Amino acid sequence: MSPTLTRRELAAAACAGAAVALLPRSADAASPQVGDRIAAEDLPAREASWYRKLPESRVECQLCPRGCQVADAERGGCGVRENRGGTYYTLVHGVACTVHIDPIEKKPFFHVLPGAQALSYATAGCNVECKFCQNWEISQFRPEQAEARYLPPETLAQIARNNGVPLLSATYSEPVVFWEYVRDTAAAGRKVGLRSTVVSNGYIQEKPLKEVLPLLVAMKVDLKAFSERFYKDVVRGELKPVLKALEVIKASGTWFEIVVLLIPGLNDSEEEVRALTRWVKTNLGSEVPLHLTRFHPTYRLTNLPPTPLETMERAWQIAKAEGLAFAYMGNVPGHPGENTTCPGCGKKLIRRIGFEVLENTMAGAKCPQCKRSIPGVWS
Amino acid sequence: MVHAISRRELAGLVGLGLAGLARGAGTTSRPPQSRGRVGLAPLPPGAGAARPDPVAAERAVSAALAACTGLASGRAAVEAMFAAEDTVGIKLNCLGGRGLSPHPELVGAFAALLRQRGIPSHRIIAFDRSSRELTRAGFNVRRDGGDWLCYGIDNDYDREPSTSGEIGSCFARLVSTTCTALVSFGIVKDHDLAGVSGGLKNLYGLIHNPNKYHDNNCDPYVADVLNHPYVRGKLRLTVLDGVTAQCHGGPAYRPDAVWPLGLIAASTDPLAADAWAWKVIDAERRRRGLPSLEEAKRPPRFLSTAERYGLGVGTPGAITEVRG
Ligand SMILES: [Zn+2]
Repeated sequence: MSPTLTRRELAAAACAGAAVALLPRSADAASPQVGDRIAAEDLPAREASWYRKLPESRVECQLCPRGCQVADAERGGCGVRENRGGTYYTLVHGVACTVHIDPIEKKPFFHVLPGAQALSYATAGCNVECKFCQNWEISQFRPEQAEARYLPPETLAQIARNNGVPLLSATYSEPVVFWEYVRDTAAAGRKVGLRSTVVSNGYIQEKPLKEVLPLLVAMKVDLKAFSERFYKDVVRGELKPVLKALEVIKASGTWFEIVVLLIPGLNDSEEEVRALTRWVKTNLGSEVPLHLTRFHPTYRLTNLPPTPLETMERAWQIAKAEGLAFAYMGNVPGHPGENTTCPGCGKKLIRRIGFEVLENTMAGAKCPQCKRSIPGVWS
Repeated sequence: MVHAISRRELAGLVGLGLAGLARGAGTTSRPPQSRGRVGLAPLPPGAGAARPDPVAAERAVSAALAACTGLASGRAAVEAMFAAEDTVGIKLNCLGGRGLSPHPELVGAFAALLRQRGIPSHRIIAFDRSSRELTRAGFNVRRDGGDWLCYGIDNDYDREPSTSGEIGSCFARLVSTTCTALVSFGIVKDHDLAGVSGGLKNLYGLIHNPNKYHDNNCDPYVADVLNHPYVRGKLRLTVLDGVTAQCHGGPAYRPDAVWPLGLIAASTDPLAADAWAWKVIDAERRRRGLPSLEEAKRPPRFLSTAERYGLGVGTPGAITEVRG
């Protein structure tokens, strides 16, 4: 999910075909399939990496905590994995329905190469169904329902490199459902000097997460609320495995940031925000950036108003008062909560408006004034 | 195709959809519903891979329709259920390929009755999720010409989701906009998660995101699809092709789990048709020494939910079988 991406921006970013124009003409001319639009009946099937076979041609998916048990000819809850005669396949490896170059701040990452561009890509599908999904037009559809192009991992890396983009980012829908594509793209990128990031709901089993984390430079996790009830009713997922995934990421040493989308009346109470920030501080430390972002009505929650500014402010104050060193505000352009301030001396280190970096006074990974080190990926 | 449409085009489509609906509402005749009543007619499978004889198919469909309505003939039943102005969508279930999909001969026999009702060929549309599935099941895909049309939804869904109970889905425009009447034309088979895939589980093919709704034996989601105004307001009839049925291993076709049931079932009560399917599947499972669907932890729970919604009679013991 990318709560900061508006519908209009998504539409602009949505045409993977645009990326094909970025392809070098010669290299792939011999491989006609690369860059081609994929017809619904021609989805490439590749055996999934995380599942086990069960009796009677059934399989159990071991990628996300849903652990779907899937009968022959059926798909998992994500809609992108299919059991064919007892073998489980992903239908989205290389099947990009969205490719776009955009600033890393949009993910949002505020502590990863400020101002850098990322080649961002996504396939159709998601393993949950957030009623507030900004990108439901790709996340809640099956791959044959979203216009897509065949862009295998090496091609994505090549597009990024040819355009001088230092980062790859799996985002927009839910990278967990195209995890093999994420893994292979990160590996292909690494070979040509690119770094990879993932923007995810963190609803993933431990083993696949651990296998891919070493290939990533950073991961952003949407912590959608701090109650199982919200996860059940509004997300159709579970909170506990997401908290577990956050701990796994923390332990791995891979840089990560957290986003919480505050929705009026559903997850924005003072108690819930306080409990969430306390859990973050206790279990992940006070240095992890926490982005509190503002909800705008969409998808199945068009009946709710945008989050009031006062609510946003209150949550931001709570996060800071609870001791989080880097609490940010999102979707409130021009608010001081978009800036990075040194927790040591109060110096304004990075000034931003929206996704734009206006000023960056960091001295490497340190505050230029008090020399406090600021965690993140700065070079 | 989610991305091929601009916002302006989208606004246009939504407007068109609403206009279509309003037009549809004017021609809808309320179907007579015989609650809990299932009409049955014999149609034994041909030897080997033989297709059903078209004449026998027509006789069986007519007999089942007459039996489920208590009217004198299939023709009279169709007259009571459909108006000449209707555009009738016939949702097929072709997931099982040639081995276990409704027989084109039976669909053809039903379409003939609709034509006799005065509904022109181009307003009789047999459909499934994709044209490819229809082709695989032996249907001749065509968007014009012939005695009835036959084509896939092929991603032509509403542009905005619509909510009913727990589901939030984009419906096929065939359902939301084009058709004024619907028929669920399914088969009789076991389903790994839903328990029974008859006429109701078949309705999952009307929405863009059925994979989201397989938890808890598809309950309440199947009932919620049925309870959506597009469906509840238009579904006139369920026909189940039980020439061959499958008692285990569904939804995929499994040759070792099929048996020659030799019956066509019809009901204006969509729950009753599935309750009957549940009954015959369990009977065959018992005969083979397999645990009942309840014991196998996949009873079609959505039937009691739909019953609670007041949509029909979903308890196997409470239905009435009438042989035609
Ligand atoms: Zn400082």
